[in-house]
Amino acid sequence: MRAICTLIWDSFRMLSARKLFWFAMAITLLISVGFASVGFNDSGYSLGFGLYQVDDQLINSGSPLAEVMLLKLLTDVVVPWWFGLAALVLALISTCSIFPEFMTSGSIDIALSKPVRRTTIFFTKYLCGLLFVAVQVACFCLVIFLALGLRLENWNYTIFWAVPLIVFVYSLIYSVAVLVGVWSRSTIFALLMAIGFWGFSWLIQVSEGMSYKFAYTMPEQGISINYQSGETVINEGATEPNKTAVNIHSAIEKIALPLPKTRDATYLIRRKITVDSNNLTSAAILGQLANTAEDDKMFKSEEKYQNRHSERYIILSSLAFEALVLLLASWLFCRRDY
Amino acid sequence: MSNPVIDVSCVNKRYRGKIHALRDLSLTVPSGRIFGLLGPNGAGKSTLVKILLSIVKARGVRGVMLGHPIGHRATLGKVGYLPEHARFPSYLSGRDVLRYTAGLANVPSKHAKQRSDELLELVGMSERANTKLRTYSKGMKQRIGIAQALINNPEVVFLDEPTDGVDPQGRREMRDIMIKMRDQGRTVFINSHLLGELEMVCDNVAILNQGQVVKHGELAELTAASRRFEIHYQGDLPAELQQQFTADGFELTNQLISMPMTDALGAQPVIDALRAKQLVISELKQSRQSLEDLFIESIETAKQNGPPPEVPKKSPPPLAGFAPADESNEDKKGDRA
Repeated sequence: MRAICTLIWDSFRMLSARKLFWFAMAITLLISVGFASVGFNDSGYSLGFGLYQVDDQLINSGSPLAEVMLLKLLTDVVVPWWFGLAALVLALISTCSIFPEFMTSGSIDIALSKPVRRTTIFFTKYLCGLLFVAVQVACFCLVIFLALGLRLENWNYTIFWAVPLIVFVYSLIYSVAVLVGVWSRSTIFALLMAIGFWGFSWLIQVSEGMSYKFAYTMPEQGISINYQSGETVINEGATEPNKTAVNIHSAIEKIALPLPKTRDATYLIRRKITVDSNNLTSAAILGQLANTAEDDKMFKSEEKYQNRHSERYIILSSLAFEALVLLLASWLFCRRDY
Repeated sequence: MSNPVIDVSCVNKRYRGKIHALRDLSLTVPSGRIFGLLGPNGAGKSTLVKILLSIVKARGVRGVMLGHPIGHRATLGKVGYLPEHARFPSYLSGRDVLRYTAGLANVPSKHAKQRSDELLELVGMSERANTKLRTYSKGMKQRIGIAQALINNPEVVFLDEPTDGVDPQGRREMRDIMIKMRDQGRTVFINSHLLGELEMVCDNVAILNQGQVVKHGELAELTAASRRFEIHYQGDLPAELQQQFTADGFELTNQLISMPMTDALGAQPVIDALRAKQLVISELKQSRQSLEDLFIESIETAKQNGPPPEVPKKSPPPLAGFAPADESNEDKKGDRA
């Protein structure tokens, strides 16, 4: 246990010594302060702690949509673009070197000559690599939680779901970086491979999402496309799904199955954050913005689209991938001569 | 000899099935001594140390370290190690490095703190203990390396090229530290190329060549056979004395008579004979082969004897009680590193 504590303590020292960590932390805090600067009043909402007033009939202190708007901003903009992309890239750049640097001759020898299992060293080092993201998301969530609580008097603890979800997404990419780093002992190669693999799996997930929309969502909304002429027809009721589109979606789904669901897992935040017992994908929440029956139908099919994969499918298939990659990496790490 | 701290045999290591680093090596390291392992580059010195410390895995190793099979994890807690070209994270201070190593070696933090202060004092780094390593010179890092190797109060300390990058004054201090360690009852195992350094501190040595021990024993005994007395004289040596000395097996070179003998008594008749011929004796001294000479001679002899025979890939089964330090065995025994 003492050895594990030592490795964790060392990781904190390493993190605090990296300028990138503080750079990313500064941006995170700026975003959270920007978030906290949004206020609501009877006539609408204000930005920059009251510096800029926007009058709005829908979003104001009396509207239940005020909280939804802020949370949607969180789940649809901040989480996917900052924590799901930019901050993760910074984290990868900063942590990719942990294993290659640790495994250099003269460095690893000291750790391995001590009465600590190699597997303990490997997994502790791996988990410590996740601290980079965990610390930042935790700080961010705390600020958002306090801001929402103080402004709207609604203490929404579900915001903290962002911490395990973002760390989980990062752990999927980081596991690839660790495997390549342990195998090649090259930081640059590990970084490129991790980003490359991340991009590949993202592309497959986006393709799967789009093909789902063509195969199921659009026919459900009564939209039919003639794939030969490119003509789009909007019908009154739902139409039959196109067989080709269904087959394409099915094929992409099979390719996506063993891959880590980084995108889906990031968007799980919409399902985990709740407002009045409804999650942010719920048509019941978004339906408040619906003006027509078409709008309502669209929100319902959108809800179905966003929930097309179960949480169990997203988490377990990703975990299986991560476990496989980490087992391979730990096997390489443990059997190698240094 | 008291119980050896290290007693291994059948140590074989082949890297990726090509480079045969160690061939059926056997080695015994006595307790409480300074033991020097010498050998040319690529002889397998570092590989041997790494096998003993479970950093490199070898199949079929028989033997023990501190009474336990090689690879026994708890035993590693009683061992200190300074690797060659030791690297410590530059974001740590000297004191942090000691705390880090102490933690890994499972030293209670209270003891670690006290011991850190003592060791920093010992290696002369107390004043710079809280400065980041990135500001240290190579010699200072090496001192911290020595201190971290001692943080767990080890019974055996492995030092791989400990004086690498250390200035002459620092080297002398290092030698004093090694002698202190021995006086405290520790066994010091040194790998070094600096034969002059080793000669000054080592009690025992082993010479490694092409993965095999070609000579080992107490340094004094190994060099005893070459012990001789040398007489420097002034004047011309008469022909009859030249013949007599040559017949006695003495070497005569440029007003120097070299007599292979261990006792000064044997030199007295030679002195008498020289004095009788009115020759001036300018110097009489006892000399012996240096460690460097011994090393070169051993390597040359090994070369003349030809390359060592190939050891079959599959090692013989281990002796009862001495389990091999390979991976398959590691899986079976929970307490092995």
